[in-house]
Amino acid sequence: MRQVALNTHISGTFNIELENLRNSVLTMGGEVEQQLVDTLKAVKHNHAALAEKVVLNDLKINSMEIQIDEECLRIIAKRHPTASDLRLIMTISKAITDIERMGDEIERIAKLVTRNKLPSSDTIKSSMLLIGERVAAMMRGTFDAFARQDEAAALEVYDQDNRIDSEYKRLLSYTTSEMQKSTEDMQDWLDVLWAMRSLERIGDRCKNVCEYVIYLTRGTDVRHTPLENMQQKLEDLT
Amino acid sequence: MLKLFEHNTLNVDDISAEQTAVEVRNLNLWFGNKHVLNDISMRIPKNKITALIGQSGCGKSTLISCFNRLNDLYDGCKYNGEIIIDGRNINSRKINVSRLRTNVGMVFQRPNPFPMSIYENVCYGLKLQGVKVRRHLDDAVESALKQAALWDEVKDRLFESAHVLSGGQQQRLVIARALALKPDILLLDEPTSALDPLTTLFIEELMDSLKKQCTIIIVTHNMQQASRVSDYTAFFHQGRLIEYADSDTLFTMPEKKQTEDYITGRYG
Repeated sequence: MRQVALNTHISGTFNIELENLRNSVLTMGGEVEQQLVDTLKAVKHNHAALAEKVVLNDLKINSMEIQIDEECLRIIAKRHPTASDLRLIMTISKAITDIERMGDEIERIAKLVTRNKLPSSDTIKSSMLLIGERVAAMMRGTFDAFARQDEAAALEVYDQDNRIDSEYKRLLSYTTSEMQKSTEDMQDWLDVLWAMRSLERIGDRCKNVCEYVIYLTRGTDVRHTPLENMQQKLEDLT
Repeated sequence: MLKLFEHNTLNVDDISAEQTAVEVRNLNLWFGNKHVLNDISMRIPKNKITALIGQSGCGKSTLISCFNRLNDLYDGCKYNGEIIIDGRNINSRKINVSRLRTNVGMVFQRPNPFPMSIYENVCYGLKLQGVKVRRHLDDAVESALKQAALWDEVKDRLFESAHVLSGGQQQRLVIARALALKPDILLLDEPTSALDPLTTLFIEELMDSLKKQCTIIIVTHNMQQASRVSDYTAFFHQGRLIEYADSDTLFTMPEKKQTEDYITGRYG
C-alpha cells in the first residue's frame, strides 16, 4: 500500500490545502452517507418529513461538489501539482462527481416517500431496505478506503457490489412479476423500479470511487477491468 | 450553505487605505527620454505577498526600485506621481531616504553578502544606525537569523566568513540582514532565480512565514513561483500595468487577453 503523504511538502500552506481538500471530500461523503441512512429510515417508517429534509439537503451536496471542484482548479493553477499530488487532485475531482450523483440517486428514492409512492408490497419494501443497508455499508467502506488510501479495502468494497447486483436482479424479477398482477398503477410501479435502480447505481458509483482510490495509491487506471484482472494487475505491479 | 474553504484575499478594488502598505498614484518614470513606467496606479496590501510579473524590460524591477528610491542613484531618471507609504508621499523631496530604505528592505537576484562574517553581515545596518551595545546586537542577529530560518544552520559559526555559505544560505543571510532593521516592507527582486528548485521552495516558504510581520513585494520571471507564493499579482507590459488582481483570480480567470496570453505562454 502506497499512501500519498499530504503533510511532507516544504510548503506548509500546500500541506494544509491538500489536507483541507481531502477532508472536504470526507465531509461531503459523510453528508451523502447520512442522506442514505435518513432515506432508508424514511422508507421504513413512511416518514415524509424526513424524506423532505433529504430532498432539500441535496442542494447542500451540490454546492459542496462545486466548491471542491473550484478548489481543485485553484490548487492546480497555483501549485502545479505533480505525481501523487496530481493524482490526488484528479481522484478528488472525479470522485466528487460520483458522490454528487449518489446524492441524486438518494434524492430519487426519498421522493418515493414524499410523493407517497412507496410499494404496497411489504416484501418489495423490505428487500429494498435490505439492499439499502448493504449499499450503505458499501458506501461507508468506500469512504474509509479513500480516507486511509487503502487499496486492499477498496478492492474488498468493490467486490461487495456483485452481491448487491444479484440481489437487485432478484428483486427486479419479483417486482416485475408483481407488476403483471396489477397493471393499473403502472406509473407508480415505474417510480419503484427507478428507486430500486437508484440503489443499485449507488453501488456502481461506490465502485468507481474505489477504482480512483487504486489509481491514487498505485497510479494504475483499473477502470473497465474485471475484478480478477484487476487483482492480477495489482499483483504484477508489486 | 456550508463553506468548505476559506480564502481571505480581498478583491483589489476593496483594499482600504488602512489595509494598504504601498499606494502608487499615477506614477510615471523616465530614464532619459525613455518612458519606463506609464501612469501606474495600484494599492499593495499590507502583510500579503504581491508578485509583479511581465517580460524583461516591462518595468517591474524599476517599479519596486521606486519604493525605496533606488532609481535616484541613476543619472537621467525623472519621475512624477505619488507613492504613499505610511501616509507620506515618498517621492517628496522632504523624505529622509536613508530612513525610507531602513523601512523598505531590498533583496536582489544574486545573494550579495558583504565580505565579512555572518554576524557582521546581519548587524551591519544596525551598526550604521549607531547601535553599539553588544547584547542588543546579539539579540538582533539571533532574531533576524531565526526569522530567516538560518539560525540553526549557522549558530555555531557566526564569526566565519559569509562566503562559506551555500547560495541558498547566502540568500537567507541577505534576507536576515534586511530583517534585522525590522522593515515594514521587503522588496525581493527575483530572489530565487540563482537558486536550485529545492532551495527555492525553502525561500518561498520563508516568504510565507515572513508576511505575518511585513509586506512582501516580489518581482519574478517565474510564473509558477508567482502563482505559488503570492496573494496578489500584477502583470506589466511595456511600462503599463495591464492587470492587477488576487492571484487566485489572475491565474484561473484573468480578465485581459494580454494577461491570459502571457500566463499561458501564448505571448508573441
